[in-house]
Amino acid sequence: MGGLGSSQSLRSLRDKNTRVCGAVVKLSLTAFLLVTVIFPLITLLANMGLADFRTVFALPKFREALFNSAIAAATASAISLVVAYIFALCTVRSLMPYREVLSVVITVPMLLPSISQGMGLILLLGANGILTRLFGLEHSIYGFGGVVAGSVLYAFPVAFLMFADILKYEDGSPYEAASVLGIPRFSQFFAITFPYLRRPLISVVFATFTLIFTDYGIPLMIGGRFITLPVLMYQEVIGLLNFSRGSVIGSFLLVPAVVAFIFDIANQDKGSQSFVVKAREKPKNTLRDAASFAYCAVSCAAIALPVVAFSVLAFVTAYPIDTSFSLHNIEKTLRMGADRYLVNSLIIALAVASLGCVLSYVIAYCTSRTPGKSSRALHLISITSLAIPGLVLGLSYVLFFKGTLVYGTLAMLILVNAVHFLASPYLMAYNSLGKLNANLEDVGRTLGIPRFYIIKDVLVPQTQRTILEMFSYFFVNSMMTISAVSFLSTVHSKPVSLMMSEFEVQMHIEGSAFVSLLILACNFAVKCLIYGLKRRLKIAERGED
Amino acid sequence: MKLDVRNLVHVFGRQEVLHGVSFSVMEGEFLSILGPSGCGKTTILRILVGLLAPSSGCVCKDGVDITASPPSRRNMGIVFQNYALFQNMTVLGNVEYALKFHPELKTRSRAVAEDIIDQVGLLEHIHKKPHKLSGGQQQRVAIARTLAMKPDIILFDEPMSALDAATRISLREEIKRIQGKFHSTMLYITHDQEEAFALSDRIMVMDHGSIQQLDTPENIIGSPANRFVEEFVIANLRLKINSLVKYLKAAE
Repeated sequence: MGGLGSSQSLRSLRDKNTRVCGAVVKLSLTAFLLVTVIFPLITLLANMGLADFRTVFALPKFREALFNSAIAAATASAISLVVAYIFALCTVRSLMPYREVLSVVITVPMLLPSISQGMGLILLLGANGILTRLFGLEHSIYGFGGVVAGSVLYAFPVAFLMFADILKYEDGSPYEAASVLGIPRFSQFFAITFPYLRRPLISVVFATFTLIFTDYGIPLMIGGRFITLPVLMYQEVIGLLNFSRGSVIGSFLLVPAVVAFIFDIANQDKGSQSFVVKAREKPKNTLRDAASFAYCAVSCAAIALPVVAFSVLAFVTAYPIDTSFSLHNIEKTLRMGADRYLVNSLIIALAVASLGCVLSYVIAYCTSRTPGKSSRALHLISITSLAIPGLVLGLSYVLFFKGTLVYGTLAMLILVNAVHFLASPYLMAYNSLGKLNANLEDVGRTLGIPRFYIIKDVLVPQTQRTILEMFSYFFVNSMMTISAVSFLSTVHSKPVSLMMSEFEVQMHIEGSAFVSLLILACNFAVKCLIYGLKRRLKIAERGED
Repeated sequence: MKLDVRNLVHVFGRQEVLHGVSFSVMEGEFLSILGPSGCGKTTILRILVGLLAPSSGCVCKDGVDITASPPSRRNMGIVFQNYALFQNMTVLGNVEYALKFHPELKTRSRAVAEDIIDQVGLLEHIHKKPHKLSGGQQQRVAIARTLAMKPDIILFDEPMSALDAATRISLREEIKRIQGKFHSTMLYITHDQEEAFALSDRIMVMDHGSIQQLDTPENIIGSPANRFVEEFVIANLRLKINSLVKYLKAAE
């Protein structure tokens, strides 16, 4: 340290450089997010004139779609939430066998596009569905009932994960106190559970409702004449190229998400953060465990049935006329370019995962470990993408990027997905980085270690498992998404998931089944790989002396 | 005089958190800065070490004004709250890592690190990661990491705030032992009266951004400068002692 003049002045220069560098990084990140999130959105909102608004609102089919969307989303959310809450209770609070396996199986739908759920249901309960024929059912699945059923299958695993997270971190000591005081269990729910859960519960309600409200895969597949808002928007934009009407409808899709977003932000700092002081006791109770197991097993079966159905269908000659084994449908789908589009999908997913990880990690580093107003602003813009439904983001990109060099290329799809899925991985990194000792950079400054090396050699190694989780999230979602990419892809850049919405028009349902399987296989492989890597890291961390 | 601090003023936003603080520290002295949370003690420490630039005032070390020097040029080491060890590195890694960034130490970084680790008595744990060590051993790693840079002043920022009472008592013995061995000047930030009295040559009592009294432990007890010192320091100590004395008397 002392005595070496030249190296000292070099170091003081480096200190100043670090500060300038930090400001430049934050500024460019903010600029990037402005261009990729805020400006396109403003363009979309600016694109609809008051006249459009009136015309659209006057359309009977719009009013009908709005009503359909609201009622279907409300019904499906209510069912999903109840089913998911009970499922979460079973896995978190009981001692039933195979708890972990069941809670993994239940999330399989999260590896698939929503459109696959709709297709699976048609295969089971459609006009010629397996179950329809087996039980001689007469009631049609198409329409309201189908949309609700499909949406429940699609949304309840997501709600389950959120509930399980909330329940896992609930403090057990108030319950012990209540039991000691002789407060009956039923009253405990209203006195302790409900007040504690209220805020996160509202967040889950909003998230589930928004997810269902903005999805077009299920209603497109199974809605029949029951048109919902996202389907109407899809038809207006893709079918009629009516962008301004699409924008108006899109702005309606934004509403619940924006409300949820504002609610979350407003409640963020008021801190219902309960740290687990004591995990809740789980007394032995065979009846409870048996009932839990039965409930979870039935739910998993319901989730698995559609998947099993299309796995079988992909290898059948022509359902229901000829159910012998054949690779005919697979050949046909491949002839239509499934292999080429799968490569597109893989390129997109890998690129989104790599770029997305770097982007979200760097942003999270800035916002979690460098205080200041600019960090708060950056944080807010980064989580904004949570509030933008894929269809809306896609259309806003069409309006904003049309005519630029990236438009119509794979790069456009990579960018839109990276932005669309940014918020969740960003929050993962934000939380992990925030948990590390706040003084590590200061240690670096006093010991003369440049900030970059603190990040590379200290922070990144300690957040490796989070980074893997982020990678997996980006990859899986980019593989299965049909929303943001639907307006932006071209014949050359099309991802394989979008073949399904075409097959729906062409009635080539076997093709959809095969494509679903392809996506499922890729996502499953990546999930397994990530799981293996995380396990190895965990063992390495523990085993080392 | 090792360290001379003149008229430090610091303003956060619209709030002045230090109102012209002046004091000096002698070579080899152990000085504690004692005060309730929010009194400005951590702000002083961050200014001394260079992590924060004061709004006005100056810091001189060995007669040289270092107010504008970056932290790594001040030759001061700091032991942070909860130690801020590199959890992914071994004891050796923690101590050696920073040395690699200093051209004059780079070539013999391994030897320097091993030597310091030996001197703080952690040689047998040299390849362990921090989470496998006890609280006391972790503190020694943090001190070794700073000592390796051969600082002439070491600052402690409430290092033991997260530890239990028994560990804290044994750890402060350890800090005294290390000071004796390396003859360093030490500044110790704490809100614990007992800790300050057990460790220090002099204690600087602070409240609301100003020094209330700066004196030896004996003089502070003997003639407290004002009401605050009397209440925050002496009354609190007396409460602690009284609660024990009645049991001790009963035992006799």
